Amino acid sequence: MGGLQKKKYERGSATNYITRNKARKKLQLSLADFRRLCILKGIYPHEPKHKKKVNKGSTAPRTFYLFKDIRFLLHEPIVRKFREYKVFVRKLRKAYGKAEWTGVERLRDNKPGYKLDHIIKERYPTFIDALRDIDDALSMCFLFSTFARTGKCHVQTITLCRRLTVEWMNYVVTSRSLRKVFLSIKGIYYQAEVLGQLITWLVPYQFAHDHPTDVDYRVMATFTEMYTTLFGFINFRLYQTLNLVYPPKLDSKAESELKAEHEEDYAMDSESYLEKLSALSASLARVVATAEEEENQLDLFPTEGEDQENMQAREKEQKEQEAQKRLFEGLKFFLNREVPRESLAFILRCFGAEVSWDKSLCIGGTYEVTDETITHQIVDRPDMDKQYINRYYIQPQWVFDSVNAQMRLPVEDYFLGTTLPPHLSPFVEEKDGDYVPPEKLKLMALQRGEKPVQEDEEEEDEEEEEEDDDEEEDDDVDDEELTEEKNLKKLEGTRAQGKTLAVKVTPGKVKPWETGSVGNKVRLEQEEKAEEKRLAIMMMKKKEKYLYDKIMFGKKRTTREVSLTIGVKNGESPKGDKYSLTARLMDR
Amino acid sequence: MAAVKRLKRVAAAQPGFISFKSSAGSDDLNSGQRKRVNKNKKKNWNKHSDIQDVEEFLDDVRLQERATGGLISEKPDDSLFFVDIGEQRKYVQPEVQEGKKGKKSKSRPLRIDLILQHDSLVPPPKDILAHQQPNAKKLRRIAENAAKLAAMGVLPRRQKRLLNRRPAITASKSKTAANNFPDRPYYDLWGGDAKETADPYYLEQTGKKRVKRPEKLNSKPSVLPAVEVIAPGGSYNPDFFSHQALLLEAHEVEVKRERAELRIERQLAVNRDDTATEETVFQELVEGLVEEEEDEDEEEEDVSIRGGLQQEKKTEKERRRERADKIKSQQKQAARVFTDKKQQLFQLRSIQATLKRGEQQTRERVAQRKANQEAEKSMPRRLGRLRFQAQDLEVQLSDEIPGSLRTLKPEGSVLKDRFKSMQKRNMIEPRERAKFKRRHKVKYVEKRAFREIT
Repeated sequence: MGGLQKKKYERGSATNYITRNKARKKLQLSLADFRRLCILKGIYPHEPKHKKKVNKGSTAPRTFYLFKDIRFLLHEPIVRKFREYKVFVRKLRKAYGKAEWTGVERLRDNKPGYKLDHIIKERYPTFIDALRDIDDALSMCFLFSTFARTGKCHVQTITLCRRLTVEWMNYVVTSRSLRKVFLSIKGIYYQAEVLGQLITWLVPYQFAHDHPTDVDYRVMATFTEMYTTLFGFINFRLYQTLNLVYPPKLDSKAESELKAEHEEDYAMDSESYLEKLSALSASLARVVATAEEEENQLDLFPTEGEDQENMQAREKEQKEQEAQKRLFEGLKFFLNREVPRESLAFILRCFGAEVSWDKSLCIGGTYEVTDETITHQIVDRPDMDKQYINRYYIQPQWVFDSVNAQMRLPVEDYFLGTTLPPHLSPFVEEKDGDYVPPEKLKLMALQRGEKPVQEDEEEEDEEEEEEDDDEEEDDDVDDEELTEEKNLKKLEGTRAQGKTLAVKVTPGKVKPWETGSVGNKVRLEQEEKAEEKRLAIMMMKKKEKYLYDKIMFGKKRTTREVSLTIGVKNGESPKGDKYSLTARLMDR
Repeated sequence: MAAVKRLKRVAAAQPGFISFKSSAGSDDLNSGQRKRVNKNKKKNWNKHSDIQDVEEFLDDVRLQERATGGLISEKPDDSLFFVDIGEQRKYVQPEVQEGKKGKKSKSRPLRIDLILQHDSLVPPPKDILAHQQPNAKKLRRIAENAAKLAAMGVLPRRQKRLLNRRPAITASKSKTAANNFPDRPYYDLWGGDAKETADPYYLEQTGKKRVKRPEKLNSKPSVLPAVEVIAPGGSYNPDFFSHQALLLEAHEVEVKRERAELRIERQLAVNRDDTATEETVFQELVEGLVEEEEDEDEEEEDVSIRGGLQQEKKTEKERRRERADKIKSQQKQAARVFTDKKQQLFQLRSIQATLKRGEQQTRERVAQRKANQEAEKSMPRRLGRLRFQAQDLEVQLSDEIPGSLRTLKPEGSVLKDRFKSMQKRNMIEPRERAKFKRRHKVKYVEKRAFREIT
């Protein structure tokens, strides 16, 4: 038996991984820079299969990276830029300290910067790769563009995000590629089909922010930096595919129409163009001026048998899609002040409608309320004083539901002041045996071309004898469901009332007998309890004591935070809410 | 010496030459004894011939030319002399003195400029080449040839090489704008690739070639979608049953949390049995006073061990018997195995059944493991000190559901949702905010102004 003894942790998984700190030292970067670099390059931490082996016998939880990834990072030119930046900051601080203002200025002028183009190209070798990964970028940019300019992140970033999202929305409008919309309590989910890729993104409601404290803004800003670069290049390419001018320009015709008299009241000169673009009410200029988009027809090949069937199916599908794209064509909408303008304008324009709004609401309105040709006015208030007889006054949900149903729904359910039918999620696909909401059943019937249920009932009266047994059953089920629902709602209502009664707390009073001997007993008992607890704490093992201390500290902190948030949030503590939730749910 | 003198004479004999300097003392200098030197050598000629007067003369000529623009002797008399007719009264305009010294000094040229001014009156030599061109004929022929080639569309080699040269990279020199500059330009990143013309080996050696990104890095760390759509119960105007389903989910999360809290409380509770009673207190006091004897057993054990160690030697007879026994048992064993094998022929069915069962079991386990691995792909991994903790479910209670979009109160934060989504997809490790540690204690001092009031 010759040879040297094998040493532990010199081969195998121990050498395939590297801890974060070691990687950081290898790259000579600070932790913040290292994290930034990893995000930009798309290198993520990795959980090894055998932690103990990788960690050289220790079981302490650590962050590991693959060694090869870090070696790949060593070749990145941006690393040098980061180091340069570090030196720049040091020099700048020194200049500041010495009050050398010319030096500060000179340094500022020569501030080192870096580009991410090559990284984007490297991470997404083809355009389609990039398009597949755009969901994140979209959500992030929409999120950042709604931020207030309060110094949580750079104002420039916010402006850039706004620009990019406006460009994106204009693209979706022009290409008419929106498919689904869902109004949730979190935000609005959109889904579009761009070049055959389904793209989903989430847009927060306007003014819905309280900045959470447990989010690392630096990390988010880094992600945004990467995503804005990616997003811009994608936008450019998308505009190219539609023969649109990039950066987007308004149609010359539209531009002259939009020339408002008091433009400077809305926005500064530098911003007014972006504002006009973001109004979405006008179409964009094209590189080659074409009258209208020619309809691209599917190439016809003589085929037989199954292929022919497939072809027919495909043709039908395409026809449906075309029809969906023209859902609102020919309609003229007017948005009242209280409805979310941007999302509605975006959706309506995506399906070919004309849209306008009050002059005081936003720049870019093309006609007044008094316009006689308006067909629909979108209103979200219980009542209107002055109503025109030749237009529908509908609630905004009609638009969203119609888009999801791929057809113009009957407007009766959405009239001013009526209770709305539930807004169903278009993202759910029910399997056999799943619960399907009755509204959805109704909608599916409508899509199939059948008449609404109420009319069905009338028909039933007429031809009662002819009804089949199973139809009756169906009806029964429906009825049952309806009654059940009603009962449940009623029950819920009563419970809610009951609960409010049960939970109510009246201010306590000091009873006279408490101060007497009975009170003494109570106090003694309490004291005993406290003593017991103290003794228990004393008797605890060291390990348990440590745990206990930690728990108690955590509790104290949460209470402190809650009391802080009460000040911010008008006395509504999140924790209390959750507890009340459980309490209520337990009742059920 | 004679030659020198002769030269001098020649110089002086120039017709009408007037010297600037007086050359009176020159004869006195040479009045010493003559030195005889052989003049048959060039070296001696150079060394001993006196050319000073010639040089002086030539210097004088230069000086005259410089100062007056020509030899004085050749000048007409009018330029040299004038008739003195007394003082001519000329009205001299007094220079308008502005009184300001600064202005006056500004109008006068600086002394340093005056010194540096060209003051010679000798005109600079004319450049002959300005009027003549050497090799004019040849050049003309070349130009004609080039024009002819240009007409034919053939570029000269120099120009061709210039055109072939790669454009100098000027963009890198210019300042790179920040990545978040709002009006930053974009271009077609995925447009036609510019083919690398340079030698790949050169690029590799000079570190200009980008390292290829490993394929493995392009796979995503999790299979979860980037944007997870909220359950249908999270609609702003939800269907009743889907809303109830979401509530139930939230409720279960809450119950789990509560249970964990209760467990900790239970663990912390005081055990009744551990508290001291009178009996235990007495026992404690008496501890050690009452003795008990339990040594007997140990002694017995010791004896037995000792007995075991001392074994008697086996006799020959015993050994023989043992051997026979061993052989017998071996034979018995072999026979047993043989019969068992025979019997197994009849057990074939049951054996097959067990085999099948075993295989089935392994197959099930493989499937289970596969399923677990699949499920793990969508689970957040443990990437650091902390585990991933899902955020609270966004839920609105039945009485919080708004009637219309206008009265909707958004729940949760999209920013947090994005952040948690990234953690869930293993893109970033879960972290907690760095705690602020105060190194020194804060010293509170009442301000004097404030103290005066109170």
